[in-house]
This record gives sequence, structure tokens and C-alpha cells, in this order.
Amino acid sequence: MLLDYDRLGWLRAVLAAFTALVAAFLLLPVVFIILLSFGSSRWLAFPPTGWTLKWYQELLADPAWINAALTSAKIAAMAAILSVLVGLLASFSLVRGEFPGRQLLRGLLLTPMVLPVVVFAIAVYAFFLRIGLAGTTIGFVIAHTILALPFAIIPIATALEGFDKSIEDAAIVCGASPLQARLRITLPSIRIGIFSAAIFSFLASWDEVVVAIFMASPTLQTLPVKIWGSLRADLSPVVAAASSLLVGLTLCLMIVTALLRRRSSR
Amino acid sequence: MTRPFLSIRAVRKTFGAFVAVHDVTIDVPKGEFLTFLGPSGSGKSTTLYAIAGFQDPTSGDVLLEDKSLLAVPSHKRNIGMVFQRYTLFPHLSVAENVAFPLRVRRRPDGEVKRKVADMLALVRLEKFADRYPGALSGGQQQRVALARALAYDPPILLMDEPLSALDKKLRQEIQAEIRRIHRETGVTILYVTHDQEEALHLSDRIALFKEGRIEQIGTGEDLYLRPASEFVAGFIGNSNFLPAEHLETESGAATVRLADGSIVKGVKATHALSRGQTARLMVRPEAFRLTPVSGNASLAVEIVDTAFFGDRRRVVARTGSGDEIDVRPSSDAAEPAGADAAASRRIFFDPAQAFLFPA
Ligand SMILES: Nc1ncnc2c1ncn2[C@@H]1O[C@H](COP(=O)(O)OP(=O)(O)O)[C@@H](O)[C@H]1O
Ligand SMILES: [Mg+2]
Repeated sequence: MLLDYDRLGWLRAVLAAFTALVAAFLLLPVVFIILLSFGSSRWLAFPPTGWTLKWYQELLADPAWINAALTSAKIAAMAAILSVLVGLLASFSLVRGEFPGRQLLRGLLLTPMVLPVVVFAIAVYAFFLRIGLAGTTIGFVIAHTILALPFAIIPIATALEGFDKSIEDAAIVCGASPLQARLRITLPSIRIGIFSAAIFSFLASWDEVVVAIFMASPTLQTLPVKIWGSLRADLSPVVAAASSLLVGLTLCLMIVTALLRRRSSR
Repeated sequence: MTRPFLSIRAVRKTFGAFVAVHDVTIDVPKGEFLTFLGPSGSGKSTTLYAIAGFQDPTSGDVLLEDKSLLAVPSHKRNIGMVFQRYTLFPHLSVAENVAFPLRVRRRPDGEVKRKVADMLALVRLEKFADRYPGALSGGQQQRVALARALAYDPPILLMDEPLSALDKKLRQEIQAEIRRIHRETGVTILYVTHDQEEALHLSDRIALFKEGRIEQIGTGEDLYLRPASEFVAGFIGNSNFLPAEHLETESGAATVRLADGSIVKGVKATHALSRGQTARLMVRPEAFRLTPVSGNASLAVEIVDTAFFGDRRRVVARTGSGDEIDVRPSSDAAEPAGADAAASRRIFFDPAQAFLFPA
């Protein structure tokens, strides 16, 4: 093949350099923020003149920040659970079903991933205003579930495609009802996919800001919304500390997922 | 007549306009090892799935001890099945896999434990009880699958090409295991394979499938020595087919004229043929001899190649009309080597071991 990595020769060095550049470009702002969150300057000066943990102390002492973090966690957890449940049902019908329009349904369920988020946010907001869900936790969770759904469907459907249905059939001849077979055999067999779906869905909600701004109310604010609001009010290193924590949790969850996948593929 | 144990009655299965199984009828006595043999796509699995309940037949019925199975959902049929694919539950250990059917039947713990131990002993995998399927070879996985399928003492065991993913040596080993297990448990087995040697080795009876129909059903000997059609003769064992013209038939013994003009009397005719009808004369490779016995017919050939295989020789010969013949005479003293390549000579066969089929 033309793009066989092993045959690229000297182009490999170019490719490696380019990849490193892209990675640096993507990661530098994050590194920058994390460094600033430990810097002693009140004015976010770079490079920091001294190091301190006081912004983190300030952050953890402020109930508004704690509340925002808890709200984020609660909404992300509920969105993750819902998205995994709906994702499971959707994946079964997408992978196993033989109905016309299956591809269409698949496309439809994955659109939130490609649809401009602002468009989605405005549409959902307008709709929720009308049916009285705007500014409610339920509305927030539903909106985030829709956004998270593709991130649940992709890993679950992939795992299900890789699972031989004969194994489920074997459980059925063994005497398990079709439901029992799915619960006791199929679900445990694709558990890594389900777990990935839960983590990705959680993260899709956890660091989402656009829809969250529309769904938020003064009493219902997630961490990214609070960060966004604070940035505009006063540019304090506390915001950098909050952002660093956000990134930290995201990173932890990604690492856990990667480790689990690695262990199960061995 | 005693009632059959399992009765497959005029089972038919269509997919759209395509008929995968044409009114298949078979009665299976208790304890029999019956094999569905046939080329890929001939409807063997579909028939088996109708018994397992994964495919509802379009028409027909499946009766077990006179009760129809069709209204019973798969998981309540209490049938054992081993699949072509590896179907052990990947997240359960070998022992838990075998225990699974007993657990869903809510059998008491003590009984489950005892039964699992018995089953693992039956397939000789006691030492592997705590392994996970991923750490087993293909042959071991299929033996565990067999143990799992027998754990709940099913009246019937279905096996759909369970050895097709294994290499030849392992296949023969497990065939021997399957025979022993059949003998020890007395379970009624319906076995699907496309491998005629496997079918001959294992079965009490073989049902040979062709395009959704049963072409012939009988013991291996029946099919090999008394093939009902050219298809059966070609599928079971090796066969040579020589073009022939039918001259006359008298009480099952036919007279034919071969391509070289020679007349052969007393070949077996399984079909009614008219005078002058073109036909094909089937002779097994091992029915040919290099030295004549009285009453034998003979054929003028040119030797193309010879090879020695210990108990047999293999000689490739070509007739005057260009047909290649596979000849496998036994390599004992009565059959001297004297068959050099490129030599012209005669080879011999007993007409009573030749079968005439319509062309
Ligand atoms: N679900 C299905 N839909 C359409 N055709 C099928 C289906 N299952 C089997 N067939 C067709 O039925 C025929 C018999 O299949 P099968 O019973 O699996 O054959 P075998 O087991 O003898 O190889 C094949 O031609 C196959 O393509
Ligand atoms: Mg098959």
C-alpha cells in the first residue's frame, strides 16, 4: 500500500516531527493553564515568578465552585447512565436488527456528533422552553444524554459486532431465556465496551460548555459554565485551578479506560 | 412398528423464493448417531436449526417422543448443541461454563458441582476446570462445549460441524472421543459435517443431503457399496466414472459398451435405463486390479504415474478416449509393481463392483 508505515523510509521522520508538532499545539494550552494554576502571580503572569497552592485552597473553600463541580458530576453521571442504557438498546437494534432504514437510524443517532453544537443548543433550548424543561436538571440531563449518545453507541455497537451471536444462541439452547442470555452472557462479554461508553458519555457531559450555558440557570451551573462565567467576570488564577481539575479528572478517566482496554485485549 | 424417538416430518424451509430444505423426512431411533452429510449449502444446518428452534420451518413438523417441538421455544426444548464456532462464554471459567445450564435450571449447588466434575471427567479436562476459554486450544474448547451440552442430560445432542476449525490430526482424536462419549452416554446424536470420512467414521447412519433434499439415507456401507445415485457415489469415497452405453438390463445386472468398444456384462444397474441410453459406469479406485481374476472385465490404458503409499499403490491411468482413472490396487504380492509410467497395459475390475448411472 502507498501509505504503509513500514515502507515510508525517511518520510517517517517527517511524519513523526509533524505529529509531535500537532500534539504540542493541542497540548500546550493545557500545560500552560496547569502551570498558571500553580503560579503565585495574581495576574496570570507567564512564566510564573513563584509557586503556590493557594488558588486551589481558594477554589476548595468556595461553595459556589464546589457546588458547580458537584452539579457537573451529578449531571454527567445521570447522562452517562441514561446514555449507556439507551445506547445499549440502540446498539442491539442497530447491530442485530434487520429492519429497513437501519442505516438511516444509525446516522440519525450519531448526528449529535457532527451537528454544530450551537445549533443543537438553540434548538433544544427553544424546545425545552416550550415544554417547561428549560433550566431544570431533567432537561439538562436529557440534552447532555443526546449529546453523549454517539459516544455510547460507538463503543457498544463495536463491541457487539465483535461478539459472536452464536455464543448467545449457545446460552439459549443451554436453557437461558433470550433475556437471561443477554443479561448473563452477552452483557458481561461486552462489558469493556459498556464501560468505555459510560466513561466517554460522562466526559461528553462533564466538559461540555455550549449546551450547558443554554441549560444553566443561576441555581444550576456546571463547572465549565462556572469557569466560563468567572473568566468574563474576573480573570483569577482560581479559574486556572478549576480548569486544571477538570482536565485532571478527564485525564484520569481516559487512562483508566485505556488500561482496561489494554488488559482485556491481552 | 415401534414409534420413532425423534421424527422429522416433511420439514421445509424457504428464504424468500429460495427453498433451502425440501420436505425432509427422517425418523431417528433412540441412541442413534445420525450424520447429515453433504456439500456446503445443502441445507444440513438449516434442518438442524429447525430441531434446535433457531429456525422455524416453513412447513412440516419435528416430533420428540410423539410431541411436537415446534411450539416449544429454544430454551425450553432441553436439547444439547455444539456449534461450529467456538461458543464458550468468554467471561466464565471452564467449570462455570459447564455449570451454566444447570444454574439456569436452578439445580442445587451440590448437584451442580458433582455434575460438572462428571462432565469434565467425561471429556478428560478435569485439570482445566479453572481455566478461561481464552487459554484453551480449539480442540479443548470444543470438548468443553460438548461437556456443557451434555451436562443437563439432553435427550438429543446436535452438533453442527464442531470439528471443522481443527486440523486433521486433532479432528481424528476428537472423533474418537466423540465415539466413546456416544457409547458411554447413549445419547441420540445428530451430527452435521461435509467431510465424508468423518461421517463414515462416526455414524450409525448417514443422511446425504443435496440441494435441500436427502439423496440417500443408510449406513456408511449402504452408501459406499450401494450408492443410489451418481451423486452419492461421487460424494462418498473416491470414484471413477467411465462413459458407457447401456445395452440391456436383466434383474439388476446390466450389459454396457465402453468407449473403446469393449462389452462389459453384469454391472450393477440402480436405475431403469433404455437400450442405447448413454450412461456412466462408476468403479471405485480400489476395485481395480493390475492382475486379472477370472470373470474380470478389463480396460486398455496407458500408465501416467505411479506412487507407493505403503498399504496401497496409487496409479494414474488414461484410457484410449482420454479419461483419467484413479487406480489404487493393494500393494501386496498378488499385485506386482509392473506398472511403469508411459507403459501400455490392461487393468482389471470385477463387474459386480461397478455401478451404472444415467448420464
Ligand atoms: N438466514 C438465511 N437467509 C437466506 N438464506 C439462507 C439463510 N440461512 C441459510 N440460507 C441458505 O440456505 C441454504 C442452506 O444453508 P445451510 O443449511 O446453512 O447449508 P449447510 O449447513 O448444508 O452448509 C444455503 O444456500 C444458504 O445460503
Ligand atoms: Mg452448515
